Amino acid sequence: MTRQMTRRRTRLLAGVVAVVAVIVALLTTGLGKDPSVIASPLVGRAAPNFTLPQLDGPPVTLSKLRGQVVVINFWASWCTECQVEQAALDQTWRQFQDSGVVMVGVNFEDSTGAARDYIRTDNVTYPVVEDTNSRTALAYGLRGVPETFVVSQTGRIVNRVIGPVDAATLTSEINSMLASA
Amino acid sequence: MNAAGTLRWARAGLPGLLVLIALAAGLATLAIVAVRGHPPASQAQQVQQIAAGLHCPICKDLSVADSPAPLAQQMRQEIAQKLRAGESADQIRAGFVAAYGDSVLMSPPRQGVAGVVYYVPLLVLAAGLITAVTLLRRWLRAPRPEPPGAGSPQLSATQRRAVARAVARLREEEPG
Amino acid sequence: MGQLGTYLLLFGLAVSGYGLLAAAVGAKTGRPALVESARRCAFGLLATVAAANATMLAALLTNDFAIRYVADNSARETPTFFKALSLWAADDGSLLLWNLILAGYIAAVALRFRRDRPPTFPYALSVLFTVQVFYLILINGPARPFASLANPPADGRGPAPLLQNHPLMAVHPPFLYLGFIGFTVPFAFGIAALLAGQGSDQWVSLIRRWTLVVWCFLTVGLLLGALWSYSVLGWGGYWAWDPVENVALLPWLMSTAFLHSVMLQERRGMARLWNIALVIGAFSLMTFGTFLTRGNVLSSVHAFAQTSVGPAYLAFLALVLLAGFGLVAWRLPTLRTPASLTSAISREGAFVANNVLLLAATAIILLGTTFPLVVEAVSGQQVTIGGPYFRTSVTPVLLLILLLAGTAPLLPWRATNRSRALRRLRVPAAAAALVMIATASAGVHQVAAVAGFGLATLVFVTSGQEILSVLAIGRRGVRGGAVGALVRGRRRHAGLVRGRRRHAGLVVHMGLALVAAGITASSSLGQQTQVTLKTGQSTVFGGQVLRYQGLHTDQQPQRIVLTTTVSVTNPGGGTAGTLNPRMNLYPAATEPIGSPSIRRGIVWDLYASVISLQRGGGSATFRFYRNPGVNWLWFGGLVMALGGAAAAWPGRRRRGAGDNRGASAAHERTAVEVGAL
Repeated sequence: MTRQMTRRRTRLLAGVVAVVAVIVALLTTGLGKDPSVIASPLVGRAAPNFTLPQLDGPPVTLSKLRGQVVVINFWASWCTECQVEQAALDQTWRQFQDSGVVMVGVNFEDSTGAARDYIRTDNVTYPVVEDTNSRTALAYGLRGVPETFVVSQTGRIVNRVIGPVDAATLTSEINSMLASA
Repeated sequence: MNAAGTLRWARAGLPGLLVLIALAAGLATLAIVAVRGHPPASQAQQVQQIAAGLHCPICKDLSVADSPAPLAQQMRQEIAQKLRAGESADQIRAGFVAAYGDSVLMSPPRQGVAGVVYYVPLLVLAAGLITAVTLLRRWLRAPRPEPPGAGSPQLSATQRRAVARAVARLREEEPG
Repeated sequence: MGQLGTYLLLFGLAVSGYGLLAAAVGAKTGRPALVESARRCAFGLLATVAAANATMLAALLTNDFAIRYVADNSARETPTFFKALSLWAADDGSLLLWNLILAGYIAAVALRFRRDRPPTFPYALSVLFTVQVFYLILINGPARPFASLANPPADGRGPAPLLQNHPLMAVHPPFLYLGFIGFTVPFAFGIAALLAGQGSDQWVSLIRRWTLVVWCFLTVGLLLGALWSYSVLGWGGYWAWDPVENVALLPWLMSTAFLHSVMLQERRGMARLWNIALVIGAFSLMTFGTFLTRGNVLSSVHAFAQTSVGPAYLAFLALVLLAGFGLVAWRLPTLRTPASLTSAISREGAFVANNVLLLAATAIILLGTTFPLVVEAVSGQQVTIGGPYFRTSVTPVLLLILLLAGTAPLLPWRATNRSRALRRLRVPAAAAALVMIATASAGVHQVAAVAGFGLATLVFVTSGQEILSVLAIGRRGVRGGAVGALVRGRRRHAGLVRGRRRHAGLVVHMGLALVAAGITASSSLGQQTQVTLKTGQSTVFGGQVLRYQGLHTDQQPQRIVLTTTVSVTNPGGGTAGTLNPRMNLYPAATEPIGSPSIRRGIVWDLYASVISLQRGGGSATFRFYRNPGVNWLWFGGLVMALGGAAAAWPGRRRRGAGDNRGASAAHERTAVEVGAL
């Protein structure tokens, strides 16, 4: 085989190795991430306003709660993971309810009866509102339940948690916001 | 050219002419259809069109138009309401992108890194065309194998029979 | 039973490891005894893996919840049929089926070459065993289906609701796996040919038929997947451009390109190395598809939720790409065949165009599917690339492929006698133009749809004309005409049996035309509506009156089935039957799984799915669809698969040519070179 052919062959081989290396590098970046977790563009922006009717009580308007830390939790009675986080939410509410923190539960794609039963069984004391046509859920970019949004005193979303939220996360978030107020 | 030659030429040209007419008719039809455009869309159809460009957030792969999920249904109602309120399709889409991010669109925005994907089909076809043309030209330029002349070895009887068999079979498989 | 299964799989790994070493050493040192022992191993391997599958099946049927896989994917109330299907319902179990089919293919190769073998056989065998070793390592390591639970539960979780809803689950994965895994064999022989330094024609005659059979399986598997999507998922469509669907299509496109360019090698001795590269490409795409499906890289309806196997598949993919294309690059300078062409407008030129278009479609779909990964890696942005992008970018390429399929069979080899080709194009071209004018006049407003109908007609008429013309030749000089020729079956009858490959290919093209017409009709002429009807209320859709009659609840051991009844009445008043879309409530699922009801017709389907119920069934929200052309799709696909099977069917032994098909190919080429044609 001529020297030209050897040179050509080496160049071709180097090309193959380079292309495979790029492919493997690209696919490795994909391996590290969970494809179902999508970042929310709302974090850091103003929380979309809403006025929703409570299950039993007057309607709740978000803008009227300015000046307090607001924790918005989207849930449903048919959602098994929501039951997992209910204890954490109740505990946080009891801890902070008189410290300038409001917790609002937003019922998502549910029936009023089932929602009321859930509230009664779990003895939820914070205000719970119904989002019947999901306008609010859509405005908050909801992809499922449970999702929890933490809104600062100035009405800005500082964090969004997908899935059941634990008490420690909530407590540290709320504390840091109350301190900086 | 004498009469027989002209006739032969005409007979050979006629099928080509027919094919040409058919081709021209086909292309003209396509042009007319393209210019004629789409009938004006009713509001329900407009909702479907916008919904078809949005990705149902709780499904895999399906658009808001196709998805049977309740959230998709509510999104369609929201789109209808916004259309009635006078919002344009772009404004409606921007509203959903503000809440969900770019991934709620079925096709990525044209700006930025993601927009490169719109050039991929053209680039691929261009690359294919260049490769094909290069290859064909190389093959066209290559020296043809010469048919065996007087100096080439004679075929033996067995070889001649094998060749005849192969030729006969090929003739059967490829009429003409 | 879990113990037995584990030991069987370990033993299988040992056997295939031995087979790999024996074949490799036997090949290198030229010791036929070693190679023969490796060949015999293949049968032992098949028996072992089959036994492991049988063990899992037994565990499922006897509710052995001590095995984690059984506890996760089966339950006491699951019907027996679906308990058996749970074998391939989830990742670990489906790997069992994968290993079984792979072992089956290796045993088939071992059986086929029990006497006369090509010199590349030992290398091919060692490559086959290497792939088997990888999948057995997976099933013995990160993805162990026989892993046991310390505290077995009293009852299992049951299969995923969607996977126990329809009997299609029985056939879709097996056919798909038969199609995918089958590419291992051509790949192995391709690698072997490169290792041995041979680009001989023997490789082609060996591999062409094998790839054709695998192509048939894959065609059926993809069709069944589309049928599943249509009949089971209830969204009214059959292809969602899901990442896993896309990557399943890629090996099919590439193997179609191979099946065409292989004719270049058979007839003209051209493109030898290219064909090997295509076969390696098809296998690489299949491996990439497996990685994408099981590695949890992209969000998909099909994704198995296993994350620990991802790196293993990626490593294997890297190995396949490096070994395969590295060897191609290595042999490129020495294995290039000198080829020549008289004119670009010829059968040879058409095959080049065929490969360019099919590979372009492959590249567009591949890049579009993986682009979100690229974008996220480069800029962190998360985007979706869905149906609309693929439809707009792939449709022009597919239309060009149709144009080629409608004209290329008329083109002669070596561009002799092109006026004849023009003459034979008259009727198809006229038919196509007429159809286009008709559809445009009927009001179709999408340009691609009008073009699609026209080109499908072109392909159908060209293929039909060519098949009929050979019958006409058969009629010449034989008493009783074409039928008499068929009945008499003599060697003189010509055409139908001798030109079998060409006719089978034309039949496949006719199937393709039907598929294209079906896809065009269903994508452009479909109608749909969504209505909420109270009991007794009716709506008018597509000229028919649809009345909601009521709800019927059926309590089954594993689910509750809510069946709605919708009566269909024609405009004249005559009844056209009923539709019964259902909602299935499974305890494991948070949302009900809908089952659509379809009234199939030759031209269009009436399709209904119920998406929600209110007031205990007092009112229901339905989606009704009018889907034209969908049944042409299924029928055309079946025709394609049958045509492929006919092309692969072993023909009569040619007298004197013996078993050495390579030699007869060489004879044909000699004839051509001599200028007889």
